[in-house]
Amino acid sequence: MKFFNYIEGIFTALRSLAGGMIVTWKELFTPKVTMQYPENRKTLTISNRWRSELIMPHDENNEHACTACGICMMNCPNGSIEVLSTTIETEDGKKKKILNKHLWNYGSCTFCNLCVITCPSDAIIFNNEFEGAVFDKSKLLHRLNREDSKLRERKKDTAPATTNTTIKKENKEA
Amino acid sequence: MTEHIIFYLLAFVITAFSILTVTSKRIVRSATYLLFVLLATAGLYMMLGYYFLFAVQISVYAGGIMVLFIMAIFLTHKPGKRVPIRQGWKLGSCILLSVAGVLLCGDIILNNVVGVVQYIEKKELTMQEIGTTMLGTGKQQYLLSFEMMSILLLACIVGAILIARKTKTVKNVPNETEL
Amino acid sequence: MLIYSQPLELTKFLAAIDNFLHSNFAPGWAIVVEGILVGAMILVMYALIALVMIYIERKIAAFFQARLGPNRVGKYGIFQSLADMIKILIKEVIHIKKADKFLFFVAPFFVIVSSVLAFGELPFGINLHALDFNIGVFYLLSVSSLGIIGILLAGWSSNNKYSMIGAMRSGAQFISYELSAGFALMTIVVLSGSMQFSEIIEGQRYCWNLFNGHLPALIAFIIYLISGHAETNRGPFDLPEAESELTAGYHTEYSGLQFGFFYLSEYLNMFIVAAVAATLFLGGWMPIQIKGWEAFNQVMWYIPSWVWFIGKAGILMFISLWVRWSFPRLRIDLLLNLEWKYLLPINLVNMLVMVMIVLSGFTLTDLFPALFGN
Repeated sequence: MKFFNYIEGIFTALRSLAGGMIVTWKELFTPKVTMQYPENRKTLTISNRWRSELIMPHDENNEHACTACGICMMNCPNGSIEVLSTTIETEDGKKKKILNKHLWNYGSCTFCNLCVITCPSDAIIFNNEFEGAVFDKSKLLHRLNREDSKLRERKKDTAPATTNTTIKKENKEA
Repeated sequence: MTEHIIFYLLAFVITAFSILTVTSKRIVRSATYLLFVLLATAGLYMMLGYYFLFAVQISVYAGGIMVLFIMAIFLTHKPGKRVPIRQGWKLGSCILLSVAGVLLCGDIILNNVVGVVQYIEKKELTMQEIGTTMLGTGKQQYLLSFEMMSILLLACIVGAILIARKTKTVKNVPNETEL
Repeated sequence: MLIYSQPLELTKFLAAIDNFLHSNFAPGWAIVVEGILVGAMILVMYALIALVMIYIERKIAAFFQARLGPNRVGKYGIFQSLADMIKILIKEVIHIKKADKFLFFVAPFFVIVSSVLAFGELPFGINLHALDFNIGVFYLLSVSSLGIIGILLAGWSSNNKYSMIGAMRSGAQFISYELSAGFALMTIVVLSGSMQFSEIIEGQRYCWNLFNGHLPALIAFIIYLISGHAETNRGPFDLPEAESELTAGYHTEYSGLQFGFFYLSEYLNMFIVAAVAATLFLGGWMPIQIKGWEAFNQVMWYIPSWVWFIGKAGILMFISLWVRWSFPRLRIDLLLNLEWKYLLPINLVNMLVMVMIVLSGFTLTDLFPALFGN
């Protein structure tokens, strides 16, 4: 009996080995997954979920949505964001913060997305520009708002900035 | 001419490494030097055109016995330890014995070398000849000694298994490894 | 012996060189020069084959894993292994404190010398055969058994636990599987009645040994492939250098050219195993010949013999790679189980069966001499 088990074991082993080899043989002809990066730069598609550079979308009037509330700065776990603002007084006598500089340090950011999630006015998002290497450390300090940009008025807020809304929503969900 | 050069080279290697084998203080190195001696001896067989013995020398001594030697040495307590050479009467007697051995062998070789040379024919022995000589029963054929050798080896294997076998105790249910 | 109109065969070229040397030098010196040329050719081939094999192995390994493999150095990365070789050549050879310097230095040479000795005996084609001993197969087995000493010494002299464990594993594995490989080859020696490579190849003109000895030859073939694969420390049998446990096994401490020796000999041993299997089982450099089909045979001879040899060895090497990327690594006790409880007993019985088949005339050449007889 034991002898038959021995013989049977040999054939079972051979059969299962052949099964394994058939699997790898099929694998030999599967499409290759390697991306040839510098060559396929034009056709390269990066997933929308990819977070690489923090930007503040501006519309055609050079206006952004940042109210300089500083929530992103407070929520940033490692202090990569610095919001510099000045307080001015409007015509109707209210005090209001005006964004001066929105500074973001690419070098220390961990891309945790907390700033984007918590922003009450959806002013900042992460984009897909993944080639962020620079030769100088000082270039890693980005100023997100452009020169002479203004806060967008609330009323016409609904229509513009549609280009990035889909990305934004996905970012929020993530 | 070339044969002489190769012969003296091999002879030099054999002598030098033989001396190193016994004078080395580290046992692994001794084993390695011994291996060189055995390989050079194989070279001598090659020079004589006796390829079969050449291959036997390499596969049995160099490939088999020396591997076992080295593995056995590795299993000992401190294979890398330097063992000092013993001084005194032991060293003296060893030197005396080896010199006596050299003299005896030299005497025999010197007096009989002319006779030996006559027997050596330089032609390649084929495997078939060697096989029939080893397993034949006629004149100058060696079946009996060959079989005696195999009985010796069989006894060795049986003895090794006997030593390596686990002793069965009554309590233990015999498991698969013991069967 | 074999004169055909073979345009790509090197026979005439070699004869021309021989004539040139003998007409310009004294006979003794001509032989010396020829010896040096042959030796240099063998060494160059050794390095070249290793380079090509490393490239092909990396490519095929990549394809098995749905990658592309090396593709940056030259078109499709064909100069990758050349670049690696240059890197290895200019790397520093690091000497280790508290290691046995002499043995540490000597160990890689054992490995590579044994592999070169075995390599030099392979029949690459018609007249491309440096050594043709009467005891060919036995010589090959004996010199290739020298390599293990190098591995053991390398493991011990590195003064490193991992190297030592790797070397001991390698020793146990090599000694065990050497037995199986030897028996499998002996089965074929029984079948072809000779140990000389040229005679074995000549005997396989119309019927390869694999088919000539049908069942026992097939079993011997499979066993030889398995044990040869295990001897080269590759694939599912790469315990001696199991990266996850032993860093790199016995060559952990080696760098530069000394590591290159181990690397080179590993690949060449793979080639030697494949080449020996091709020679003994698949007819070596002999093209496919069918008795009676003269035109077909003639066409087959137009393909040079060394292409046949490399092709057959290449197919076997591909199988070895395929196995390597198919199966997970064995545990050491399972590895020794496979050898001592399965391969060796099967092999012994198989050899007995082969002897009976040969003696009672049940080989294909004996049964159908009109079809397969020489």
